Amino acid sequence: MNKSELLNKMSVRWVIALKEEAKVILDYYEMALINKKTLYPIYKNIEETHWLILSGVGRHNSAAATSYLYTISKASKWTSWINIGIAGSGKGDYGNIYLVDKIFNQNSYITYPATMPKSNLPKMSLLTTDIPITDYSSKELIDMEGSAFFDIASKLTSKEFICIMKIISDGPENNIKQLTKLRIIELLKLNLTKIAQVVLYYENLSENENQIKAKPDIFFKISSNWHFSVTQSSQLENLLRRLKVFCDNNEIMDLIKQCKSSSSVVNSLNNKIETNKVNWSDV
Amino acid sequence: MIETIYIEKKIKDHPRTKSILKKFKKSRFIEIDKYAEIFNKRNQNFRIQKANPNLILAHKNDGFVLRTPEGFGIGSSKNFYFSHMYNCIYDCRYCFLQGMFSSANYVIFVNFEDFDASIKNVIDQNINSKITFFSGYDCDSLALENVTGFAKHILPIFQQYPEVEIEFRTKSIQREPFMSIEPMENVIMAYSLIPDLMSSSLDNKVPSISKRIQVISDLALRGWKIGLRFDPLIHGKDWKFLYEDLLEKVYNSIPLEAIHSVSVGPLRFPKKMFKDIFNLYPNEPLFTSPLYSNDGIISYDTNIEEEMSVFCKNLTLKYLDNSQIFRCYA
Repeated sequence: MNKSELLNKMSVRWVIALKEEAKVILDYYEMALINKKTLYPIYKNIEETHWLILSGVGRHNSAAATSYLYTISKASKWTSWINIGIAGSGKGDYGNIYLVDKIFNQNSYITYPATMPKSNLPKMSLLTTDIPITDYSSKELIDMEGSAFFDIASKLTSKEFICIMKIISDGPENNIKQLTKLRIIELLKLNLTKIAQVVLYYENLSENENQIKAKPDIFFKISSNWHFSVTQSSQLENLLRRLKVFCDNNEIMDLIKQCKSSSSVVNSLNNKIETNKVNWSDV
Repeated sequence: MIETIYIEKKIKDHPRTKSILKKFKKSRFIEIDKYAEIFNKRNQNFRIQKANPNLILAHKNDGFVLRTPEGFGIGSSKNFYFSHMYNCIYDCRYCFLQGMFSSANYVIFVNFEDFDASIKNVIDQNINSKITFFSGYDCDSLALENVTGFAKHILPIFQQYPEVEIEFRTKSIQREPFMSIEPMENVIMAYSLIPDLMSSSLDNKVPSISKRIQVISDLALRGWKIGLRFDPLIHGKDWKFLYEDLLEKVYNSIPLEAIHSVSVGPLRFPKKMFKDIFNLYPNEPLFTSPLYSNDGIISYDTNIEEEMSVFCKNLTLKYLDNSQIFRCYA
């Protein structure tokens, strides 16, 4: 598989506040710091299917980093976006991982992320604050980035491709002052199997969407042989999507091999559609 | 299995909300202010949501009863529809609901009593007209009846107005409440049908045609009036053979005197809606047929539409009277 084929497959982007929160992920997905001067530290794997940015703490950092990673990594509409990190909680179990399905923000509206379906992981609501909170009473999860990440990521893709996971690191019984870098790494490591299962779902989601939405491979071959206007290009893509359902690439190329112009290509393909009768016993 | 149920705060203590929630003991409940916070927002993927839709319980504020589009009806001079629910548990590839809402989550409006009042109001205002109501234009009328109980709730209203027709249009094999109550002359149980071979490709998550025919037959024998909706008519190889097989099977399985009406309608999508649906399902065989844009509507060639309608109508005329057959264009 060559690089361009891999790039066209699944893609995942990670936005994580702290290096300690990212370490286990970086190791597991074999990501390394990219060899380029960037505003935030950015890592990627060799296939360039996983990219990770260290945003630093806070909503502004998270929003800026999400947007920056989108640009730098040329993420597609079907890229999955993941935010993972530690969180305070007055309700959950210390060390456990939770999916976030409701986000409160002290300054703005409430948002409702979609979550991975059929997951055994428990779900909780998240409060994103601008200042550290130590009064955990009645709060399910508390962090300082989640809402900003979600607000920006949901402008880049549909919300089914966005995932927020939080691991409870502090609470009424577990003082935040006792939280060390080593302990954070440990908490992530303890949940790695669960994280990987969730990420696998988002990898597959991205890959499946790519297979449905990406331009048919034959589109590029035909486009390189004839010159198409923008309108014709859109017609070509539309026709090829429909033809690919009942013709293979060789049949399509045979249809147009005598064509002298782009308009005759479009006409030839259109004629094939015009005469198609769906064989319902074949579908 | 519904994983998450979003509940508008305004109706969280409504008895119907409580009764519905009792049926979903394993679901996660999330309170929201307005259903629009979840439903029909931008940046949602209908196709992905459709695989695992969530449920929203909401309060409808207005627009309880609306006029049907021009060309939709079964003989009355005035036609109205109401939808206690948005979206459908089925996933039919020709259905306009795929392009209607950007969210595939189900919305159930629990304030049925407001529908009652609006229906009565429309009846009072049209006292001298023959009117028909269609239940569930934006959903399947009966597919979630065991959750909502809407049909059971609304039927007593129509007992008070025997001159006013109501049609429940469905692809479900829901028998209740109809098998447990006395048949009503003004109620039409209408079933959408396409040939078995097409149905197995296009009617996802829908009971098989044979199961639907069995339920139609049972309800007919119980005394309910039946509507047969060959709508949309789907084209393809051997379509005549497939439709002949379907129609013969239906007419030979149901007591003909129980049939209230038959309607045939072409496949059609508003242009913008078709574009959205094609983008969702670009590999769908249904869209590999030659389709044309006419006055903002995407459909088969008019000659094909005409040939299919006439063919089905002529087959039906072997069993029923011309006055029972309607063509639907909306």
